[in-house]
Amino acid sequence: MQDLNKLNIISNEIHDFEFINAIENSLAIGSWEFNLKTNTLKWSTVTKKIHEVPDDYKPDVETGLNFYKEGLHRERITSIFSNAILTNTSFDDEFIIITAKGKEKWVRSIGYPVFENDTCVLVKGVFQDITEKTQKNIEISYKESLFRSIFENSITGMAIVSLEGKWLKVNNSICKIFGYSEAELLDLNFIELTHNDDKHIGLEEIKLMIEGKLDNFQVDKRYINKNGNIIHCQLSTTIVRDLDNEPVHFVANINDITKSKLAKQKIKNLLAISSKQNERLLNFAHIVSHNLRSHAGNLDMLIGLKKEDYPDAVDNEYFPHIEKAVKNLNETIANLNDVAIHNIVEVENLEPLNLLEYVNNAISNIKALHVVKKAKIKIDINKTIKVKGIPAYLDSIIINLLTNAIKYKNPDEDPKIKLIASKDDKNIILEVIDNGIGIDLKKHGEKLFGMYNVFHHNKDSRGLGLFITKNQIEAIGGKIEVKSKVGKGTTFRLFFKKTNYA
Amino acid sequence: MHRIKLACVIDDDPIYIFAIKRLFKRKNFTSNFIIYNNGNEAFKGIKERLKNGEQLPDIILLDINMPVMDGWQFLEDYKKLKIEKKIPIYVTSSSIKKSDVEKAQGDNFVRNYVNKPINKENLDFLIEDFKKVDL
Repeated sequence: MQDLNKLNIISNEIHDFEFINAIENSLAIGSWEFNLKTNTLKWSTVTKKIHEVPDDYKPDVETGLNFYKEGLHRERITSIFSNAILTNTSFDDEFIIITAKGKEKWVRSIGYPVFENDTCVLVKGVFQDITEKTQKNIEISYKESLFRSIFENSITGMAIVSLEGKWLKVNNSICKIFGYSEAELLDLNFIELTHNDDKHIGLEEIKLMIEGKLDNFQVDKRYINKNGNIIHCQLSTTIVRDLDNEPVHFVANINDITKSKLAKQKIKNLLAISSKQNERLLNFAHIVSHNLRSHAGNLDMLIGLKKEDYPDAVDNEYFPHIEKAVKNLNETIANLNDVAIHNIVEVENLEPLNLLEYVNNAISNIKALHVVKKAKIKIDINKTIKVKGIPAYLDSIIINLLTNAIKYKNPDEDPKIKLIASKDDKNIILEVIDNGIGIDLKKHGEKLFGMYNVFHHNKDSRGLGLFITKNQIEAIGGKIEVKSKVGKGTTFRLFFKKTNYA
Repeated sequence: MHRIKLACVIDDDPIYIFAIKRLFKRKNFTSNFIIYNNGNEAFKGIKERLKNGEQLPDIILLDINMPVMDGWQFLEDYKKLKIEKKIPIYVTSSSIKKSDVEKAQGDNFVRNYVNKPINKENLDFLIEDFKKVDL
């Protein structure tokens, strides 16, 4: 503006030239002129500036064209420039040039040929730096294509929906979700596809969004697809407003969650069935064990009484067998009760228990047994370690494993038992390592922790110990693993839940 | 020897009744019994005895699971009789439910809980415990 003020506008041609120069400068538009008679090319100051050449630079046609980027751009300018001269056709196009300083610039080049007697004598032109504008256009078109590819290829169904609920634009995923083609969908509206019972869902929110009180909302609702099947969807709707904050349309994101919904329902049903069955099983176990217990107990009692009251009557071949059978029956029922009780533990009842104390206690409990067998027991347990459990279970678990380790000793060796405790992220691990006869895990591995599986012909084998141990450790949230080599020994690894302050 | 005059057995199991009679006799604990087969029978019987001034038992063995009226209901009604004589009541059951044991132990009128079947240990426990009763 300052430059303009200096100009005397109502003046002659010289001043006009200055005026043009001023305009050129402020608009970044340069001019040029090619005189065919003298074969000279003239560039205005701004044209030179765009080319980044000094003010005293003298261009010619050859060098002028060479500023255009080699290849497409240079070929094109050369061809339309020749065309202008030969056929009196003006041109107006956009090109890339490489400036004297090696910079790439987008320019708009306009040329008007001037003819005298069917011969071109002059070409006048305008030269404009449009790099910034072009760059912006490129950015916009990049963003546009980015958005388009996101929209088209998203695995989420995406749609632009009018304020009245008509589909304006849908992507492939939406078509897949609903089973309609794009053309079919655009003929339908949102409400038509919604499950009858869910048509009310979101209406309130849509009103709020149109009123400008809400920008986005998310709901789960059901739709009906082309085949008439119910589809469960997660819908996220956002309102788009123009510069005046007037609502324009909605953008909807739709996720088909039918599969996961059905899977969830299935899991829920299965859980309900299995807990019911579990409950029945427990009841059954209780009733059976309770009723059996009374009857078997009575039998035992009667046999005892008869033996004392009528010593003669029991002095026969049958009686000892009957007595033994009743004794076995009672034992079995007692075991059954053990198992039935162990299956009902509530996790909330778990308390922190000092592992070392329990191990020491277990060892003193089985003193009678291990003294007889000359067992050597080594303990490596930090006295601060605590595990989550139920006292009776922890006692029983440790005693059971120790007893096993001693019972199934190598015939020619005194039993050596190591108890080692360690920690990992979640668990306290107690290893019980013995040098006993071992277990053939290939043969018995799967049945090892089953009920009534006895692998050794040992006089005390009940075949229930490991079953109960496994039940007990699992009931307190842990697990048991075993490694063994026949003739070398067995290692049981017990995983206990850590207490919060272990 | 600790001997009592009269024992009351409230139980619906004839085999148990037969056995307990036998065992008490053998232990020289008592030979006199009154037997009721459910809580209601027992309640009526004891009430009748109270009314007629007849001899009341020195011990009551009470089963839990019985038809007509169970052991718990009997206990509730029994308390209302306000019998002056403090009769030790032993709840005898084959129930191993913790809740039953706890309920019995928490009841002021119940002397102790004795597991069925009545084997040697349970019987000895019962008699030893009874000896400690401050009559």
